[in-house]
Amino acid sequence: MTFGEYIRKHREALKPQDRRFSVRQVAQRIGVEPAYLSKIERGDVAPPSEAKIRALAEELGEDPDVLLAMAGKVSLDLQEIIRKRPQLFADLIRQLKSAPDHALLRIARDVRDGDW
Amino acid sequence: MIELLNNQLSFRFPEVHQKAACSIDFQRTLRIPDDNREYPLPPGLGRFPVEHVDDFANKLPDTWRTHGGVFIPMYQSEALWINFSGDYPCAVKIAAGKINAVSGETWSNGLSADPQDYAVIPEQPWLDGFNVSEDFIRQFVAMPLGEGFTAEEQITGKAEHGGLQIIVYPMKHDIYVEHFERTVQADMDYLDMPAFLRRSVCESAPLDMGLAPGGLMRQEIYEDEYGIDAWDQDNGFRCFIHLANSEQYQMITGHQPPHQPATAKDYTEADLPWFDYYDDSKALAGSDTLGKLTSVAAKVIEKGKGLLPDNEPVQPKIIKVISKGNLVRDGEF
Repeated sequence: MTFGEYIRKHREALKPQDRRFSVRQVAQRIGVEPAYLSKIERGDVAPPSEAKIRALAEELGEDPDVLLAMAGKVSLDLQEIIRKRPQLFADLIRQLKSAPDHALLRIARDVRDGDW
Repeated sequence: MIELLNNQLSFRFPEVHQKAACSIDFQRTLRIPDDNREYPLPPGLGRFPVEHVDDFANKLPDTWRTHGGVFIPMYQSEALWINFSGDYPCAVKIAAGKINAVSGETWSNGLSADPQDYAVIPEQPWLDGFNVSEDFIRQFVAMPLGEGFTAEEQITGKAEHGGLQIIVYPMKHDIYVEHFERTVQADMDYLDMPAFLRRSVCESAPLDMGLAPGGLMRQEIYEDEYGIDAWDQDNGFRCFIHLANSEQYQMITGHQPPHQPATAKDYTEADLPWFDYYDDSKALAGSDTLGKLTSVAAKVIEKGKGLLPDNEPVQPKIIKVISKGNLVRDGEF
């Protein structure tokens, strides 16, 4: 599924319960023209900027990193992290590319529980 | 495991079920007037920033390092509500200063059915305060530990713990499969499913805050319709959320804390919305222990300190009704 199709599908799914999820109203809330949002959903134009994708994710209750990945983008904060130690992170990501989800989850940082 | 992502605690239980997960964040809000009138739900004004204790360990009290967990900045007399999200059913137990916010009992790991001392996600969308009577809570309001305002001090007579404590247990794998995954055959069946202290870096003021009971708000805490045996108590995760004095938060972290929220009066006069939530699920009775707590405003008077500032009654003009389908409770100011 393309970025545009995904956005349309999820927006349309929310619309029957809440008219705030019409193209016009969503476009207004994220600060773009309704016609532009329609074109994005149809795939007539490339996905919008990171800021607009984040705003769309917030509106639709979707994960911004997932939407950015679908749009072929890497968020600026991740770019900055990688730029600081490019070799290390490139190696790490390549090594982890086939690891199962549960193994990846173990690498993610836990909130530590202590003694209370 | 618990991860901190975008100022939200993300609980995941991959050992139980691939979908077993829920998230909890802490919403900044107005302090509703503490005048024994009943108020609707105040708005969410965004998430409190949440930090790992371990990232600032050398600037924090030893007890915080021992507890682990996270901390958030709060101004004195500021209110918060706890926002739950996720589709996989989870039982969540919340305590303030190790006093259970639902039952009024002192902290223990594990769940209790009688009285029920936990809420069920996603049936319970949020929790704004202490369960003082059926259909009513008293708002969570931050007060310094050691002055006798917090629920902990009023119930135990001690200012020991402060903060918030949370433990989450996911629904057992087999029960989830039976209720939600067994077949997709009968849509109708689907609809019939049970809706189920020491001094800080700055030696001048105490760092630790606790939660005290504030104004009265209409909010139900729903009965667990799955039953206590539905919860996988071998696979819970818990987190200690310390409440840092907002003014000192910047000295600890170098980050600016959010500005103080608007007063209920200013917010209401700006014609901004309050909220009402409707759900016909059965509500729990209030806790007798919590029902006997003295609210912050009453305590201020009791201590002969005059009146609580910014506590004039307000008349919410715009009240938006929200339901399960639309849980947005955002306010802007």
